[in-house]
Amino acid sequence: MKNKGLLIGLGIVVILIFSVVSWAVSTYNGIVSLDESVATAWSQVENQYQRRADLIPNLVNTVKGVANFEKETYTAVAEARSKVNEIKLTPQMLSNPQTFKQFQSAQDNLGSALSRLLVTVEKYPELKANENFLQLQTQLEGTENRISVERMNFNEIVRQFNTTIRKFPGSLVAGFGGFSEKQYFEAAAGSEKVPEVKF
Amino acid sequence: MKKLILTLVFAILLSNLTFAQPYIPTLERYCTDRTNTLTKSEIANINRILQQFEDSTSTQIAVLFEYTIDNYPIESFAYQVAKQNNIGQKGKNNGILFVILKKDRKMRIEVGYGLEGALPDALASSIIRNDVKPHFKNLNFYDGVMAGITSIIAATKGEYKQDKSRSKNEDGFPWGTILFIIFFIIFFMGKGGRGNGLGMLWLGSALSNGSGGRSSGFGDSDFGGFSGGGGSFGGGGASGSW
Repeated sequence: MKNKGLLIGLGIVVILIFSVVSWAVSTYNGIVSLDESVATAWSQVENQYQRRADLIPNLVNTVKGVANFEKETYTAVAEARSKVNEIKLTPQMLSNPQTFKQFQSAQDNLGSALSRLLVTVEKYPELKANENFLQLQTQLEGTENRISVERMNFNEIVRQFNTTIRKFPGSLVAGFGGFSEKQYFEAAAGSEKVPEVKF
Repeated sequence: MKKLILTLVFAILLSNLTFAQPYIPTLERYCTDRTNTLTKSEIANINRILQQFEDSTSTQIAVLFEYTIDNYPIESFAYQVAKQNNIGQKGKNNGILFVILKKDRKMRIEVGYGLEGALPDALASSIIRNDVKPHFKNLNFYDGVMAGITSIIAATKGEYKQDKSRSKNEDGFPWGTILFIIFFIIFFMGKGGRGNGLGMLWLGSALSNGSGGRSSGFGDSDFGGFSGGGGSFGGGGASGSW
């Protein structure tokens, strides 16, 4: 009689342990795949930033040929671009607020230097008739727009990730697995809008 | 003090700009005109062309006429409309949305991930500037849209092939339709002769709905029933004004 009770008790304990372990495993796996999605979203953001950086030398050369005396403006762009190239952010570094902030401010600086350049060259009608320049301008507009889309997607996935690892039972698994919160892109003043590059 | 007030005013303006999110319409036709610009037959014609294009290539092109979105950026608006309506097929991401804001005098061609190669930003921009804009300037909206669609179709037609024969909107076996039919057969067999005519009619409409997803009722020759396939967008395309 007593044995039977013990057996039942043991069975319940085994079932409990089993369900807790399988819950922990599936939660852990869920976090891992979210972590992977964050890395994917991040690489998309980086791709678009890289694309913008790649367009710049061409743009600067085109502008140089026509508007030679706007030297200050286009050297500012070139400098901002070289700063951007110095900061590489791997997905493992996304939880570091400091490097993330550095990365974002370098990119934002480049963005505003670029839009300043594009506003300055508005004075040059030769550029507006220059097919090469028009194409570069369209590509740049497109890239800025893609950057904002990818940043938005990235923020969305990071939000999911952070919520998952911060909510109560999940946070235990996350702490055990060594996951920590990731950084968001903050909308700097006006960066919600695509920079004005109209002509 | 003055500076503070200025900053405050600016902040309020900015937050208004950011939060005044426009209504994102649900597209039920290939061509959605919320401004009463086009005539019924013009809309029907556009719907027919775009449906035929999807039937043969699986590429989805949608057209949306909206009156205004105030100061909201058209890029964000077009992206959200395209995303929310799942334009394009899943996996191919071959959707295109052509938005026209009549009062704002702005337009945008939003291009899905999978078509950014066939229709790059520069080409989209050239379509807007050279094919569409001249017509819009003369207030020929129908001609402008047709010119735009024609160029978009020309640019993208070789890119994808339709690989599902007809049932483009279904992912899998149409269990729902089958159950529905069985239900009706049992129901009306049980009832005997009564109400058989009506039953057959309903059955007919259920069948036609299931096979193409386009018939919308009794004798209504309504072309262009649109339903998104789950394509995604990355912000490609170009904008312009007239």
